Amino acid sequence: MPTEVMDRRAADNEYLHKDFHGALSNALIYLEERFGPDAVRDYLRQFARAYYAPLRAELRERGLAAMAERLRQVYADEGADIELELGDDELIVRVAKCPAVSHMRAHGHRVSRMWRETISAVNEAICEDSAYDFDLVDFDELTGRSVQRFHRRGEEGSA
Amino acid sequence: MISCKEFIPAYSELFRYLEERGGHDEVVRFWEYLSDNFLGNLRELVEEHGLRGCWMYWSHTLNEEAADFTMELDEEAGEFSITMHKCPSKGMLLALEHVEPYHDYCSHCDTLYRRVLEPLGFEYDVDLSECDQARCRLVVRDRAGGREPGTGNRQPGSG
Repeated sequence: MPTEVMDRRAADNEYLHKDFHGALSNALIYLEERFGPDAVRDYLRQFARAYYAPLRAELRERGLAAMAERLRQVYADEGADIELELGDDELIVRVAKCPAVSHMRAHGHRVSRMWRETISAVNEAICEDSAYDFDLVDFDELTGRSVQRFHRRGEEGSA
Repeated sequence: MISCKEFIPAYSELFRYLEERGGHDEVVRFWEYLSDNFLGNLRELVEEHGLRGCWMYWSHTLNEEAADFTMELDEEAGEFSITMHKCPSKGMLLALEHVEPYHDYCSHCDTLYRRVLEPLGFEYDVDLSECDQARCRLVVRDRAGGREPGTGNRQPGSG
């Protein structure tokens, strides 16, 4: 049989490799086992402060609309439906089923018991030094269903 | 949620975080852990199909990652190779203006795959000399020589 060749250019495919969720989950499991749960949160905060620096600046300048735009894009990219309620001082996000958790469970990847921190620690870090704060109001470990609330600091309320 | 499209910067920042905690050895320890705990599908494919298992594994991942590559399989000669013209992961990291890639980012591809393939009887060589331009080349050779195409079985008399 002659040599088989596969030749691809970047434009030939869409960039969407959901198995990366499984790699991240394994990383969180490793961090928790080796260094403890605080290391998981420390790492995620450090990543969020660095990588989301442009988003953090936008949040400070434009408010919660910047966060809403990002979330719409992220969940749309992964084929998930979400509900957003955007007000002047509050953004409520309802995710019926987390696409990352769904993918990992469907493909037999281990789901870190600290997966919720990819929402809570990350969003808390994004909100640092802004007028806003973040609460993970509800999170279902099995499906990743969640209710997320961004709100102006000092504002009380319930989702 | 951290999108799977944002995983690569999260991965790079994880390596940086681990190095800050325990030096480069700590990063390598994690790569070994990830190889042992996350690459079971590569291991199973190669155990069952020989070099063709490499072809099957990377056909899936590189297309989902929208890589710019040429992949070749010559089962009779016992050689599989990937010439990466532009790695989507390193390319993404190099394109980020506000985050520096982890200095030894590309070496994870050496540790992760070598650790799976060498115990299964294959030589694994990766040339990372141009990885600062998102280019690399990996070659997997069957130490036992060629195999019957498509079967994963060694050819008679091949050792």
